[in-house]
Amino acid sequence: MSTALSGATIDTTGPVSPQGRRPGRAKRTTPRNTLTGGAGLGLGITMLWFSLLVLLPLSAIVARAAAGGWDSYLDVLRNDQTWAAVLLTVRSAAIVTLINIVMGTVIAWVLVRDRFPGKAILNVIIDVPFALPTIVAGLVLLALYGPNSPLGLNWAFTETSVLLAFAFVTLPFIVRTVQPVLEELDADVEEAAASLGASRLTIFRRIILPSLFPAIIAGATLSFARAISEFGSLVLLSGSRPFETEVASVRILSFIENGSYATAAALASVLLAVALAVIVVLDIVQRRVARRG
Amino acid sequence: MVEVSTPTRWALRLLAVGYVFFLVAWPTGLLAFRTFEEGTANLLDTLREPDVQAALQLTGKVALLAVLINLLFGVTISILLVRYEFPGKRLLSALIDLPLSVSPVVVGLALVLVYNSRDGWFGPTLEENSVQVIFSTPGLVMATTFVALPLVIREIVPVLTEIGDDQEQAARSLGASAPQTFWRITLPSIKWAVVYGVVLATARSVGEFGAVKVVSNNISGKTQTATLMVEEKYQNFAQDQAYAIAFLLVLVSIACLVTVALLRPKTEE
Amino acid sequence: MSIDITGVTKKFGDFVALDNVNVTIPTGQLTALLGPSGGGKSTLLRIIAGLDSADEGSISIEGADATKLPPQKRNVGFVFQHYAVFKHMTVAKNVAFGLEIRKRPKAEVQRRVEELLDLVHLSQFSHRMPSQLSGGQRQRMALARALAVEPTVLLLDEPFGALDAKVRKELRDWLRRLHDEVHVTTVFVTHDQEEALEVADEIVVINEGRVEQIGSPEQLYDEPANDFVMGFLGEVTTLGGVVVRPHDVEVALQPSGNGEVAATVTRVLRVGFEVRLTVTTETGEEVIVTMTRSHLRQLGADEGTKVWLSISKGAITVARSGGVPATV
Repeated sequence: MSTALSGATIDTTGPVSPQGRRPGRAKRTTPRNTLTGGAGLGLGITMLWFSLLVLLPLSAIVARAAAGGWDSYLDVLRNDQTWAAVLLTVRSAAIVTLINIVMGTVIAWVLVRDRFPGKAILNVIIDVPFALPTIVAGLVLLALYGPNSPLGLNWAFTETSVLLAFAFVTLPFIVRTVQPVLEELDADVEEAAASLGASRLTIFRRIILPSLFPAIIAGATLSFARAISEFGSLVLLSGSRPFETEVASVRILSFIENGSYATAAALASVLLAVALAVIVVLDIVQRRVARRG
Repeated sequence: MVEVSTPTRWALRLLAVGYVFFLVAWPTGLLAFRTFEEGTANLLDTLREPDVQAALQLTGKVALLAVLINLLFGVTISILLVRYEFPGKRLLSALIDLPLSVSPVVVGLALVLVYNSRDGWFGPTLEENSVQVIFSTPGLVMATTFVALPLVIREIVPVLTEIGDDQEQAARSLGASAPQTFWRITLPSIKWAVVYGVVLATARSVGEFGAVKVVSNNISGKTQTATLMVEEKYQNFAQDQAYAIAFLLVLVSIACLVTVALLRPKTEE
Repeated sequence: MSIDITGVTKKFGDFVALDNVNVTIPTGQLTALLGPSGGGKSTLLRIIAGLDSADEGSISIEGADATKLPPQKRNVGFVFQHYAVFKHMTVAKNVAFGLEIRKRPKAEVQRRVEELLDLVHLSQFSHRMPSQLSGGQRQRMALARALAVEPTVLLLDEPFGALDAKVRKELRDWLRRLHDEVHVTTVFVTHDQEEALEVADEIVVINEGRVEQIGSPEQLYDEPANDFVMGFLGEVTTLGGVVVRPHDVEVALQPSGNGEVAATVTRVLRVGFEVRLTVTTETGEEVIVTMTRSHLRQLGADEGTKVWLSISKGAITVARSGGVPATV
């Protein structure tokens, strides 16, 4: 399930098209348009819906952000409080992504290669952050790391709480992108390497890691994007103190609540650009993988 | 497969389990514990409050509508993307994923800019025809639909691609019309993918907070959903009630996860 | 005539799959579309079925123009290489599909399904799911499913291509016998010349989108229209610019003065009861010759032996660049 929620599917095999199996048509280059009447109508209605729901609203952000010109756009980012929020968001997202690269790969490895009682439960728990409402995620983290913590910690309203919230909501991304690739990994190749005299560490470094690399990059990209845009889990946990624990999304919300849509749109367009960049990176990674496969 | 030494394996296992335990399992368990610290009375009392009932009902209604809309369009878009060629297909396919990486607050803002009745692109016109989107149920549904949009599609597309169109062509050659082929052949083949997609979209729709917060004016009984109520209760120091509602939402999410976990292996025979 | 294909052209982008194809397929016969992979034969079959459409040209089935008809209105049975079984239906439901679409009465559907499952020897599997059947059984089920609607023509696209060699051979014989029983006009696509020669009444050889030759298996084998057809239907070698079958090359230790070519045996390879000689002529042409082991023993040649090559009397030959077959 999680790959759907994470948005991370690395299609290593490429689409299995019936044409691919039909030798007589192997050379075909697809025609540009195969829509029949009914399908054309379906596409029309769908595009109208998609435009009204997604495309137009997102364009409105860009339009609103650009309306004031380049100077007012830069002014938004030059505001100290906004800049602090952006820095905090990017820094925390980067740190959490690095943690995820290590922990996500370790967890994926344990889930695929290790065997122990309760592994199935671990596998389900990994998805909890995906399914949990973000506001509830904040509440959940407050229970253990807030004022009444049984551990005696109180990380609420500190910068650590931002890391904590980001780590919680992005936990599944790398696990779920790496896991299937690790499962598909050919044991033969590792055995071949071992028979050629490679040590375990060498096999991991030279054989396993390179195969996992595209999946790790894809997962890391998604994890970074999700952290950058996170909002709900921070509302209760971080206290959103200006210059200390206020992240970009919270800053946008306060602009909206003050009615300064233009400023909100300017900052939002930065997050939107990050989201688009992520899609481009994923597309490139996927194409690379498909070409190699 | 090349075996890893026992100490290394134990170290990795401990690291993985420990990390997940401290980050997810213990905190989530603690929430359930806090909810029932003083028995079931807290949960039941909270549920009896009319405000809470209204919020839960609104969440149910918005989620249901959002899931239905995403089901309808999700199936349509998936079939168009997999079975047909048309200009702009790759762009559409990439844009479908956009809601997964856009901040929910940005989603809310985007809808507000187009549909608010003061200076939105379409808002004033809709207002004249007495349709209110922002600060009203349609806005909540749109925001929720937006954030859950890719989930159904991402489940169906790989399955449709994998089964290929042989069965559909066989049905056509046996005399089935396009609708007959869809209902008798295509839909039964992608049934489980559709079910997963719907379950995932439900989990996401019920739990949406950020996007809904922007398009809602948080009026209890009108536009306050369950997640918005959790925030309000917690900030108004009604923490027990916040825990109780949060616990219900956790139950829904866990139920969705378990449903998928139980259904999943069936199709992988 | 059952199926008339007139001037059919089909392009996929820049790739010409079919180039002005004209074929008439006779009623009640078993016709093979034979050719190498990518030659356009599957595309032609799919155009007949209406699963693809031709860019130019027309198709008529039983005298009625079918060019613009969608597949569900052509009343053709189509059997796919990868079976295209309806995975979520039982064997009986698969076979009943076309009849249910046509809203036939329940009792009739049931009777017909029983009949057909009997015909393809799958009666005892009627309540199984397709996933519980072997490849050969699935293909027989697909055939029953296609026959259930009493199609005007039965089209089979590499029907045995996905099966292993033994099952393939069994099904081939079975298809021939089945056709003798039901006599429906049948067209099947194959790239296996042995399959075509063994099963078909008539063979249409298609290569690079063009029809190379149409004829009975004997005609094709005995009077190939060009070197492509000859080469496709069996092993060939060239001697002095003439294409000939390797068993039609005579080897002698002494010249008899009838224009033989001097050559040296460069390689001897035993394949079962047969021996394959590679013989290099003085001009450097490598000729393959096959003969029986006992023949070679009588001849007493071995690697390095100087020999004289000629084409045996009555052998079928064609000029290398195509053209009229010539008998020596």
